[in-house]
Amino acid sequence: MHKLYSNKKVIFTLMAPGLFVFAAAILAPILLSVYYGFTDYSGIGKSSFIGLDNYKTLFQDSVFWTALRNSLFLAIGFICIQHPLAMLTAIKLDKLQGKAEGLFRCIFFIPNVISVAVIAYLWKFIYNPNFGLVTKVLKNLGFTGQLNLLGSGNAIWSVLIVLIWHGFGWGMLIYYTGVKNIDPVMYEAASIDGANGRDIFFHITLPLMKPVIQVNVTMAVIAALKQMETVYLLTAGGPGNETQFMASYLYKQAFQSYKYGYGNSISVMFIVICLISTVALNRIFAERGE
Amino acid sequence: MKKRQIGMLLCAAAAAITLAGCGSGKTKTEDTKAGQESSKETGKESSQAAAGGDVVIKVFSNLPDRTSGQGLIEQTLFDQYMEKNPNVKIQVEALDDESYKTKFKAYASGSDMPDLVNAWGQPSFLDEVIDAGLLAELNPADYNDYGFIQGALDGFSKDGKLYGLARNTDVMAFYYNKSMFEKYGVKVPETYDDLLAAVNTFKAAGVIPVSMDGSDKWPLSIYINALYQQYNGSTSSKEIREAVKTGDYSNEAWTKSLDQLKKSIDAGIFQTGFETTDYATSMNLFTNGQAAMYYMGSWEMSMATNENIPEEIRNNIGVFNMPAVEGGKGTKTDLTAWNGGGHAVTANSKVKAEAIKLLNYMYQPENWSKLCWEKGVCMSAQNFSQYLTGKETALQLEFVDKVNNATSISGVTFNDLGTNQFKTVSEDASVEFAIGQLTAKDFTDKLAGAMKK
Repeated sequence: MHKLYSNKKVIFTLMAPGLFVFAAAILAPILLSVYYGFTDYSGIGKSSFIGLDNYKTLFQDSVFWTALRNSLFLAIGFICIQHPLAMLTAIKLDKLQGKAEGLFRCIFFIPNVISVAVIAYLWKFIYNPNFGLVTKVLKNLGFTGQLNLLGSGNAIWSVLIVLIWHGFGWGMLIYYTGVKNIDPVMYEAASIDGANGRDIFFHITLPLMKPVIQVNVTMAVIAALKQMETVYLLTAGGPGNETQFMASYLYKQAFQSYKYGYGNSISVMFIVICLISTVALNRIFAERGE
Repeated sequence: MKKRQIGMLLCAAAAAITLAGCGSGKTKTEDTKAGQESSKETGKESSQAAAGGDVVIKVFSNLPDRTSGQGLIEQTLFDQYMEKNPNVKIQVEALDDESYKTKFKAYASGSDMPDLVNAWGQPSFLDEVIDAGLLAELNPADYNDYGFIQGALDGFSKDGKLYGLARNTDVMAFYYNKSMFEKYGVKVPETYDDLLAAVNTFKAAGVIPVSMDGSDKWPLSIYINALYQQYNGSTSSKEIREAVKTGDYSNEAWTKSLDQLKKSIDAGIFQTGFETTDYATSMNLFTNGQAAMYYMGSWEMSMATNENIPEEIRNNIGVFNMPAVEGGKGTKTDLTAWNGGGHAVTANSKVKAEAIKLLNYMYQPENWSKLCWEKGVCMSAQNFSQYLTGKETALQLEFVDKVNNATSISGVTFNDLGTNQFKTVSEDASVEFAIGQLTAKDFTDKLAGAMKK
């Protein structure tokens, strides 16, 4: 049997189906994408090889940089606003105990189980400057001006709020599990030693949550880079191209302007950026981990 | 040695099973896909099956709603055709515009295109398709007695050859709420200044003057086009085409139209946040009585018969064209209208002759034209005056009147006159200009730049 497994042919035969699926479903499309990134293919008719032209255009394309900046903005928003909130809520929830704990855990998680399309339309109506909830509430409070929350300058913040709200429950749930896994004996010991709540948080909870934070931050960055559907349905990248994200811009170029070649070059850059950020994050956490 | 061979055999068997597993998995997904598609094939499927058709015509349509509006009319005609020709079976696959265009591209790159397809008689869609040789040439002489209105088939012709038939005449205009106009003492604007005065009246009363679908962007582009016609007069159609082709936007009508739009927006002509208001919401603002006017195309004339709209509103809808501007050469009878969507037959269709027969059947005046009008769905691109029933809504008649009395017609508006890239850039620019992110010069520069390679 051992002999059988060390036979290269056998190994290959066993690996082949998996390799085949990987090559056909993942590798080939990526390679095709790279190839089309060098052409001016429009989806119909012939295409010609234009070398690095798409990439040259890309680097001068201000909308691409806006999209990249928006993705980073979203990632920072997730890390600096959503996650601290989620973690604090998780810790508070842990202390609640009893029925209330389950109830609030459920309530906080509700936005996460609602479909993205519903979320987007829900918020579109909340933000609507003519009949939206926000406008109505402000009007009743005596505000007389016009507030256009999805307008120029405000839109990106409005999008950020929706995305933070939507993803909050998921982040919280993971932190909550992390908190639950901390041995209560630690807290008791610390209290006996005279540590106050602050000390306990910074010296026990936070360090022990490190692996959880690592997972959550990585997921947040990936979610920010991948952002597409909510923003597409909420603002369609508008007004103008203010709330364009990389994935939505790619979609727009490839499927609305029908510049498949250009769209593919964006997707290649997209993959490169995702890989770089994943590697960078791993590095950062690996160094801390030692 | 024997042992090893058995081992190898077992491995191969295992691999085969795994692969077979993959294979069956694939067919399964294909099955479900076919299932989804067949679920869209509405109509009398049972009778189709019973007929056991010899000829199968595959239709790819952009009218996914087969139970109302134009989709219903298309389906009705297909059903009629199958009844008359028991040997023909028509299979319909329908998707909405965006998905339709994407899948059309996918079909185009394969060899198995549907036989009868939907097409838009606009360069942004059609040029590429014709250049790739995807559409079958039609014989213009066949349609001499079909009563197509003048210029209706221009969009589907290239280099003197005809590639498709236009379905409708689309007119862009201001719908207005008659009772609201009465209530605030506003008369139907004769000039653009009247319109701006009306804007002030409605603003002061807390009513949205004009509801605008800015999220889709093209209504704003068309608004600019309509203003241009008012400044430049009846020859606009030709000059706009030239401008798009050459990238020369020096005609001062461009600047004037853009300035006028900016001035109107500063005066608050559209609702706050119009740039992100989508089609349905902008229409709702009007049909709920929050807006006094609504800038949209004639395809929404069925508002007058839509029972979901409150009676006091649906019975009081009127329509007027872009009013004349001061110092402009145009008049209010210079219409912003075009013949957009239509049908074409694909060049590589295996049943090309049969598909053309079906196409011709659909477009016989007593079919599409008559049905559309009777159901109040739209105005066909053919002369349908003989089908007036006397039961038309006032709104329908107003539109007919507009078309019959037009002194000039814009044809396809500027945003659809270039490539797909030009379409996105020019429509984006229209919104960016409207919200003050671009100046008039930036706008024309962008348009000029978009047509360059």
